[in-house]
Amino acid sequence: MDTFALIFGYAYQYFDNVGFLVLSASGLIIIFGMMGVINMAHGELMMIGAYITAFSYYAGVPAPIAVIFAGVGAGLVGMVLERLVIRYFYKQLLSSLVVTWGLSLMFSQGFLLIFGPSILNLPTPFGGFPISEQTFGSYRLVLFGCALALVAGIWALFTFTRFGTQARATMEDPAMADALGINTRQVYSLTFGLGCALGGIAGGLFAMTATISPFFGVNYTPLAFITVVIGGGANAITGLIASALALAGVQTVVVNAFNQYVGYISMMAAAFLILLALPRGISDYLERRKLRAVRASRPSPHG
Amino acid sequence: MMASDAPATSARMAGTVLSVEALCAGYGRVRIIQGVTLDVKNGEILAIIGRNGVGKSTFLKTLIGAISPMSGRIGFKDQDISVMPPSRRARLGIGYVPQGRGIFARMSVADNLLMGERVGGKGVPNYERVFQFFPILKERLGQKAGSLSGGEQQQLSIGRILVGHPELILLDEPSEGIQPNIVQAIGRIIRRLRDEAQLTVVMVEQNLDLIQATADRCIVIDKGLVVAEISPSDLANSESARRYLAL
Repeated sequence: MDTFALIFGYAYQYFDNVGFLVLSASGLIIIFGMMGVINMAHGELMMIGAYITAFSYYAGVPAPIAVIFAGVGAGLVGMVLERLVIRYFYKQLLSSLVVTWGLSLMFSQGFLLIFGPSILNLPTPFGGFPISEQTFGSYRLVLFGCALALVAGIWALFTFTRFGTQARATMEDPAMADALGINTRQVYSLTFGLGCALGGIAGGLFAMTATISPFFGVNYTPLAFITVVIGGGANAITGLIASALALAGVQTVVVNAFNQYVGYISMMAAAFLILLALPRGISDYLERRKLRAVRASRPSPHG
Repeated sequence: MMASDAPATSARMAGTVLSVEALCAGYGRVRIIQGVTLDVKNGEILAIIGRNGVGKSTFLKTLIGAISPMSGRIGFKDQDISVMPPSRRARLGIGYVPQGRGIFARMSVADNLLMGERVGGKGVPNYERVFQFFPILKERLGQKAGSLSGGEQQQLSIGRILVGHPELILLDEPSEGIQPNIVQAIGRIIRRLRDEAQLTVVMVEQNLDLIQATADRCIVIDKGLVVAEISPSDLANSESARRYLAL
């Protein structure tokens, strides 16, 4: 029985870590992976989501609906940001980095001014379940499930809907999409808003496990970026999943062998090594392998 | 077919679809189009020729709105479209097939076609017509557009706007980088687009055979101006063609 508890414990940690990375990065795969905007304020949008969730919850809104409010609120903030700021910095990687970093400082300091440094807490729902002598929190499993559901939702949206196809066309060739009658400004605005909404939802979900303060976001932005960059832009969604699985594996092993801090550093080191080997990310490598397989299975047209 | 269609066609021919007046356009402060004036009649196939870099592609880009005019006027079906964004021009009925084809390489053929539905407004998408003109696209629907051959990509780029309801189509070097036998096929399709789908065509082209086989009228652009008009059948012998194309 003890062996089972041990294995379950590791698996639980692993999927908790995967869920954490996928949730933190889910909005960013759209904003950075697909649109190519380095949004350093992603964590602050999560922070806004966390605050909206907390305030709604204490105003009597049930937790799941409070999380949806967080998504809507962060999404609207994102669309306003896109219209006022981000729009002028597409295709300017360095400028977008500096500008969004500035935004992130403005948000965290602004929240500090308005709400003070006090920390908010939300109760973690669903309690726990015992395995052998240990108790595991059920909410972590809910987070993992939410991460999977969000990614599946993003995939379905971009694959099957007219808006998703328009967004992919716009990201690939904005001038051509425009010339085919697609309102690309609207597509950019909605896509950016969607990425921010996902950040807000993630922030709302994490709000029930973490303490909420104006600097809530700094815990998430670096890991979210690492996950997305390692995933690569060739196929943002498979990239996200592959890189979350890989990084969480490293983290789980190292955390158990050493401690949390070494675990965090080991993820950075793993990211470094993966990028050395696959500079364009895991999904680029997977796509190229797939392409080679397709070419190999088909007679060459040139003889 | 000929007898019953002839009167209707000539009546349509009377109307002007596109009228360009003293159009100037370029990049930044560099003026490339230096005052082009021209009318294109309904159902006409107009070819534009000229040496590299004289402004032919810039002219088409200004017509679709990818480049804003510096001065002058572009009228399409009695509307001034000079300052409209490309998406609105497309929805009014201008279909643009750019140089290099402009397909979405990472998307499937089916998704590429879907993106043409807005051309010419919100009518019912006409996939049947696309597959009638380009049957190969039906077989390739699930394939990534980037994996198609050059000729197939050209067909996709033209087919994509035919999903919608364009009235004027702008073709930028449809023969570029395509095998000769496919160029002939594309030429036949351009004729059919006019004869069967009643479209007006403005095309920039270098291939004189293709122009002779398709165009009703041919103008020469040099240094951003219309400098000559040549009947397509005279192209091979024309003095101005020799002068402006350096044949």
